[in-house]
Amino acid sequence: MESTLKSAALLEQMKKHLETDAGKELKEKVGLVYQLNISPKKIGFNEEIFVVDLKEGKVSKGPYNGKPDATFSFTDDNFLSIAAGKMNPQIAFIRGAMKIKGSISAAQKFTPDIFPKPSKL
Amino acid sequence: MAMRDLINGGATCAVPGSSSSNPIGALANVMFGTSNKAEELKGLPSTGVSVPESSPDFRPDIPLSAIPGSAFDTQQNRLRDARSNDFLRGFHSTDHVGFADAWDDVQRPPVLPPPHFAGSEPQFGEFERIYDAPPVQPTWDGPPQRVLSSVLHSFVDSGRSGVPFHPVALPMLGLSEGDKQCIRDRSCILARHIYGDKSEDYISAQVNTLLQSLDIDSSRMRGPMPGQFREMEEYWNESQGPLIRPPGMVNHADKWITEFNQQRNNDNPDAWAQSFEQQHGANGWASEFEQEQNQMALGQFRGAAAPNMAMMEQSRMLAHTLSQNSNPKFQNSQFLQFVSKMSRGELIIDDNQIKPANTDWADEYQAQHNGGPVSWADQFGQEQATRGWASEFAQEHQLEGSVDEKWVNEFSSKLNVNDWAEEFSNQVADTDNWADAYDQYLGDEMLASRQKPKSRGVYEFSALNPYVGHPNPLKEGQELFRKGLLSEAVLALEAEVMKNQDNAEAWRLLGITHAENDDDQQAIAAMMRAQEADPTNLEVLLALGVSHTNELEQTEALSYLYQWLKNHPKYGTLAPPQQPDTLFYNDVARLYTEAAQLSPEDADVHIVLGVLYNLSREYDKAIGAFKTALKLKPQDYSLWNKLGATQANSIQSADAIMAYQQALDLKPNYVRAWANMGISYANQGLYDESIRYYVRALAMNPKADNAWQYLRISLKCASRNDMFEACDSRNLDALQKEFPL
Repeated sequence: MESTLKSAALLEQMKKHLETDAGKELKEKVGLVYQLNISPKKIGFNEEIFVVDLKEGKVSKGPYNGKPDATFSFTDDNFLSIAAGKMNPQIAFIRGAMKIKGSISAAQKFTPDIFPKPSKL
Repeated sequence: MAMRDLINGGATCAVPGSSSSNPIGALANVMFGTSNKAEELKGLPSTGVSVPESSPDFRPDIPLSAIPGSAFDTQQNRLRDARSNDFLRGFHSTDHVGFADAWDDVQRPPVLPPPHFAGSEPQFGEFERIYDAPPVQPTWDGPPQRVLSSVLHSFVDSGRSGVPFHPVALPMLGLSEGDKQCIRDRSCILARHIYGDKSEDYISAQVNTLLQSLDIDSSRMRGPMPGQFREMEEYWNESQGPLIRPPGMVNHADKWITEFNQQRNNDNPDAWAQSFEQQHGANGWASEFEQEQNQMALGQFRGAAAPNMAMMEQSRMLAHTLSQNSNPKFQNSQFLQFVSKMSRGELIIDDNQIKPANTDWADEYQAQHNGGPVSWADQFGQEQATRGWASEFAQEHQLEGSVDEKWVNEFSSKLNVNDWAEEFSNQVADTDNWADAYDQYLGDEMLASRQKPKSRGVYEFSALNPYVGHPNPLKEGQELFRKGLLSEAVLALEAEVMKNQDNAEAWRLLGITHAENDDDQQAIAAMMRAQEADPTNLEVLLALGVSHTNELEQTEALSYLYQWLKNHPKYGTLAPPQQPDTLFYNDVARLYTEAAQLSPEDADVHIVLGVLYNLSREYDKAIGAFKTALKLKPQDYSLWNKLGATQANSIQSADAIMAYQQALDLKPNYVRAWANMGISYANQGLYDESIRYYVRALAMNPKADNAWQYLRISLKCASRNDMFEACDSRNLDALQKEFPL
């Protein structure tokens, strides 16, 4: 995946993570399709779209072929904060740091624990 | 000041019949607050005197006692102690010319407060007493305090007798701004209370008349009053202020803020309620009330008596919180009154309906609500308590369609409101309270703004450094580092650089220590200072490259790694003579491969290559490079950690754990390795294990913020919600006891 976003690193890790046992558990626990529109600086500008498909267990780049259960829009840094557990997704939403489209109950399941954490060199 | 002791001593026993907390003490404060004020009291006849107690101490339970004239009036009603009478006689005998006269004039026989007022809220207690005192002839001359008290009394009396209050021309009263605000606000409240059965217009007219007489401009508001609800105001002030707004946070907060400010200037109390209905995005009320609702809803299920009590309790707390805000909008609001009523048990929720326990209030309330857009309470009463406020709000807006940029629009029409509301209310009850969460968010924002590359490099020194003043902190720092006491080493090294700003070695070591302590932010800051002091130091450049890689900052990392090559005595020649404008990853990688071929025995080159491959996420190559380096340098603990991290990031967690273990064998206090271990376990779904490792890392460095967040996530996944509180309050003892390694 070629990308200049910081989030790309996390998403690649997610891709591999989904092939492991822990990742496969996510398919049962969540089983939804999320589309992530991530922008470098400001929501809506220069977005890169990723799809985290927790039904099939895949991560891909580009819009989803079909209807995702929930679509999120945020900036690079905010997505990383949410995935790391630094920012509460509800608060992010309320503050406008994260926009949601689609099923809210699906959005409720978008929590930090579905993402693997990066290790530090 | 024996008199003061007398008063204070006397004030500790409750004066019979009084429901205010410390009337005599208040009196004492008024009288003897400061020596300045005592001077002012002496200077009564001149009109330049300003009313004392104009400090921002607008305690709602002692409103008019700020004005000495009326203070005496009200206090008089309650003074029955022998001691207090002594005090008054003593006071009487002092040579305060004007005051003695004033005292005589406004003296009246003590009146027992009517029994049925005993239960009313303290803030209205004063008013009751004024209300029931026999009327006094209004005098418009004389000392300002007396005049003022007379004006206010006649205002009150006019209400009682049903005669409209007339504007009067008064001499200059010399009221300060603060006093004016105070009087204005209090009179609004007072008017509402007295003219409860009259129309809103009448009330406003009366109040305005009063204010005109007193030469107070009722429409001029000097900005938000410094109420006791400071938290909320501070938060919003901050968010309005120079705080860098994150890119995503656009309209919601703005609109709410501007609307709210507009409402502050608006005299119409109903507008507030209306605008509140139209509000969007502002969830302070929502979540707070949501929680109230939750608890109320839960109470419903537990039986008849319990919920009413619980609900009353909750409503009382809510009302209390609201009334703390001295902004008249809050105090005047119907909503507050409604909640107050609920808290007093005059309205009860029974069978999912709001029923009045006392019909008078309810009738009045209903009457006031007819036809108004403030049908809040009606709808609220009719709604099922289980649904919660949030769902009702969302539904209301869906029906009205009066919102333009709201949450609801963002949801598809297939949205199941009930579902969402339940889950949302569960989540809200589950997660932090609004204020805490916003606090945290703000804190994170501050952190985030510090993380921007532009503002990077600002090192943060620790407070209370015991090593400052030591003769050779650098040596101590090095020793501590060797021993593995990383946090101590940080302090010692900070002491060194405070003494000696250009000590490159100290900065470098400080940077390394922070990195090992799992704090890349500080590491970068320290390393940059080191670089200033010594621009060609290869270790510094490598460390900077590594830290930036960890922060996923490609361009910076690349730049530093390139500089490493350029500054290297052996490989510097490989780099092109002129600095290219933009560094492309491929170019740099190519250079390094050349260097590696040039001297395959140089472990450092391989290390840098490994880091470079991490940047480009070519993890297999990175692992190869690190393994080569390790063959040359097997005792380098940080190299083992790098290998482990690379493996972990390419989801070879089992191998990673082995590598970390090697690192820890070499350096047992390597916080970063402990934290990385935790991460690897967590990524594998072994949450119980991961918790232990995180706790161990945090025990060594309680400032490792990342680790705290990860710990929380692991606790959640392991269903150890009981330890959430320990985690949030950073209670290491409890955590260590619970999760030993």
